[in-house]
Amino acid sequence: MNFQVTAGVDMPADTDRAIIGRSVPRKEDDRLLRGGGLFADDVTLAHQLEMAVARCPFPHARILRVDTTAAEALPGVVQVLDGRRVAELSEPLTVLRPVPGAPSLPYYALARDRATHEGQPVVSVVAVTRAIAEDALELIEIEYEPIPHVTDMTATLEPDAPVLHPDVLESNLMASNVDRAGEPEAQRDAAHAVLADRFVVNRVAPLPMETRGIVVSWRSGARALDVRSSTQVPHLVRKQLAESLRLDESSIRVVASDVGGAYGLKLGAFPEDILACLHAMLLERPVKWIEDRMEYFRASTHGREAFHDMMIAADKDGRITSIMNEYTTDIGGWNSPFGSSQLSSVTFTGPYRVADAQVKRNVVLTNKTPVGAYRGYGQPEVNFAREVLLDRLARRLNKSPLEMRRLNMLRPEDLPWTTPSRAIYDNGDYLRTLEMAATAVDYERHWAASRKPRGDGRIVGIGLSSFVERTGYASARFLANRGSQFGAHESVTLRVNRSGGVDLYTGVSTFGQGSETAFAQICAQVLGIDYDFVRVHAGDTGASPLNTGAFASRTLIAAAGALKEAAEAIRDKVLVIAAMALEAETDALEIRDMAVCLKADQGRSISFKDIFNRAITGQGIPEGIAPGLEATAHFEPRSASFSFGTAAAVVAVDPATGDFEIERFVMVHDCGVPVNPLLVEGQVRGALVQGLGAALDEELRYDPETGQLMNGSMMDYFAPMASDVPPIELLHTEVPSDVTPFGVRGVGEVGTIPPAAALTNAVCDALVDFGVEISQMPLTPERIWRAIRAGAAS
Amino acid sequence: MTASTNRVEISLEINGRTITQSVPVRMHAADFLRQTLGLTGTHIGCEQGVCGMCTISVDDRVVKSCLLLAVQLDGARVRTVEALSDGDRLSLLQEAFKRHHALQCGFCTPGFLAVAKSLEAWGRVLTRAEIRDEISGVLCRCTGYEGIVRAIEDYLGAVHGMSAQTEVPA
Repeated sequence: MNFQVTAGVDMPADTDRAIIGRSVPRKEDDRLLRGGGLFADDVTLAHQLEMAVARCPFPHARILRVDTTAAEALPGVVQVLDGRRVAELSEPLTVLRPVPGAPSLPYYALARDRATHEGQPVVSVVAVTRAIAEDALELIEIEYEPIPHVTDMTATLEPDAPVLHPDVLESNLMASNVDRAGEPEAQRDAAHAVLADRFVVNRVAPLPMETRGIVVSWRSGARALDVRSSTQVPHLVRKQLAESLRLDESSIRVVASDVGGAYGLKLGAFPEDILACLHAMLLERPVKWIEDRMEYFRASTHGREAFHDMMIAADKDGRITSIMNEYTTDIGGWNSPFGSSQLSSVTFTGPYRVADAQVKRNVVLTNKTPVGAYRGYGQPEVNFAREVLLDRLARRLNKSPLEMRRLNMLRPEDLPWTTPSRAIYDNGDYLRTLEMAATAVDYERHWAASRKPRGDGRIVGIGLSSFVERTGYASARFLANRGSQFGAHESVTLRVNRSGGVDLYTGVSTFGQGSETAFAQICAQVLGIDYDFVRVHAGDTGASPLNTGAFASRTLIAAAGALKEAAEAIRDKVLVIAAMALEAETDALEIRDMAVCLKADQGRSISFKDIFNRAITGQGIPEGIAPGLEATAHFEPRSASFSFGTAAAVVAVDPATGDFEIERFVMVHDCGVPVNPLLVEGQVRGALVQGLGAALDEELRYDPETGQLMNGSMMDYFAPMASDVPPIELLHTEVPSDVTPFGVRGVGEVGTIPPAAALTNAVCDALVDFGVEISQMPLTPERIWRAIRAGAAS
Repeated sequence: MTASTNRVEISLEINGRTITQSVPVRMHAADFLRQTLGLTGTHIGCEQGVCGMCTISVDDRVVKSCLLLAVQLDGARVRTVEALSDGDRLSLLQEAFKRHHALQCGFCTPGFLAVAKSLEAWGRVLTRAEIRDEISGVLCRCTGYEGIVRAIEDYLGAVHGMSAQTEVPA
């Protein structure tokens, strides 16, 4: 293992039994390794029907006529719904994280008169099998009138562009927001050097291996809608279903058992969820819908697509005096639950000391599949623009990119630092990660050397990319100001059982992040119970306290506090009951080996199991103490925490073809105190490879003429395979955050942020003598080859 | 079509059990395993033979069961993830995956286990590059593959009685 965790964390005295900070085996693994996971499609209910959906094949079309007669007559078909009926039966889908300042765009589960993107649902069918439901789709006659469409983000703002939502908007600009501080224009105008460019970020697919899915049943007599969903946010899906289906939340239970990857995609209710519920309620029969991969590419949500017009100004020494960034994100045809990326505005100045800066975000609509949250949510995008432009500026000033970063990076004593968009960076040591990365790749020596081809004709280049990542939310107050429909907290219920164990209930569903494991570790640590005796029950709204959910790298930051409070409450009561049983004062007791004993005489003890039974039965507990032993706690961290680090890429480029190899990729990062280093390494590596995929190969491409997605299948979309992944070296620093319990920082998304800039900078460094500048992702050999030719021409 | 023409009876050995079953002719093998036999450990990710979620062993060859029809399993010997462990005890291969954090969401894991198991037949420990090539027919979006490669290397070392060389990236 090339992953080191430094010691020195504040732990309770009993360090030999400390479990926070240890790479304990995951709670989740045994069932998943045995094929015993319970994913949405693994649930089959008696009398279940299956749903299939007819989708608009055009980017923009009027729906003139829908004839479902032949489909309804097909044996095995049970029900067909069209847009008109759905609009009578339900309310439009709601948004969880609105774009500040944007109007709501009423969006029903089925298109009525007009569809705004290829893949939008138009008719739904349920039948006794999925195959028959799909056969029925072939028999549905839908008469479309294709109307002018726009898929390009620049063209969509032209005066002649077809307006997607003319009832509520005059153009396809959905909203603009500005954050600023100081005098960025004046600083720019007075600067020694100013560089600006447009950076284009590709549209990509989050691509969980398990597609979306829902299995739903309705008992009208009980007014009980039971939903199994592949989601990151069961409680938020319940809220959205209640709103769209005109039900009380108390009538809905949403359960997410195992979720086969999510990455931000599975944040909230989608049209098909509403449709499956409507069919189930009308028919009083269970309905299953499992998205197929062709649907996935057109009808879930995409990620990232944006361009950033970035400007950096500096004085003659290379000190950054102003950053201005106007960026535009594509939200697609409608506003998905989380919409397009919002965090570019938060971290646009990165780890640098810049007081005069402005960021402006524009959100535009196009006739493409909606964009939703995807791991990083704006932070990889803006990092690409800023870090690539910073290298370019360094070269312009005849400084090394390392020196440029050194000069401008916030020092530990500058923190906490309020950014121009009023985020507050907590404590950290950014410079140390930069120096570690630079040392690991021997940057100084490389910089001084000439860029001569090696024996194999390739030229070596090294690129750096430093970053901060916001993990968690600043506060519920911050979210309220932005209209977000959720809080900044997490919650947990702990309940003891007669077997001597603790049942831990959380609304955070399990999609690979290891939360069952990390939560159990914290519970075990605080309560003093064995890890194996903590059982996590995740993702069931019928069992867990209301929570927020797993996204924004926020779960552990908030949940750790709730776990700590709840476990402490249990522990306190355990000690009170034990004190009575052992005829001692509570402060004379200690917890050891699943029992409470006297500090002075460990032979006198009472087992957890005995204590739990006393509490559950109310027999043998002190007078005046209520029976029962469970605790629910809610916790909101006092601030967001910022992870940080630096990546360095070493590439060898063939200047004749633009082909290149990634010979090394070093990532130095800090996520505060790792509760479980094995999980941390897994999160960082996994996100890095997603970031590498987006940087190198992945891109959803639309034909501007037809408005069709051209590579919407697994065969045509190039997600990294094992053989594509370069060697990755992880280095780790550990500065405990001073704003979170246990000093943790989020770690789920961090790897997606630096790769694109590190690789682009490395290629541009290798080809510096060719005048190569690259401002667009993905970084394909073709793009490099064209840049070499353009450099030679100029 | 009538019921008599669109169903066929097949016999196969599945995880050590011989069964005879009538199946629709158009049902693919992955649906058959999941829906007819209830072996839901085999997953479906694309039904196009790319993602590898449905990878199983048929007559000791690893195949993508979404590209096979159920009727093609007639007479075959089929192994799925459900046959890997010994009762409640994880097999050596499963333990290696657990030890090396070779899974996160676990959706792809049955496919990787099937491929990994098949690599025993090489009779030696594969290099990391060979392992990466061999497992490239299964996609994982969570782990970045490093844990999977380590687990397979470790497992093959144990099976072939030699310790895997620890290969630290350059």
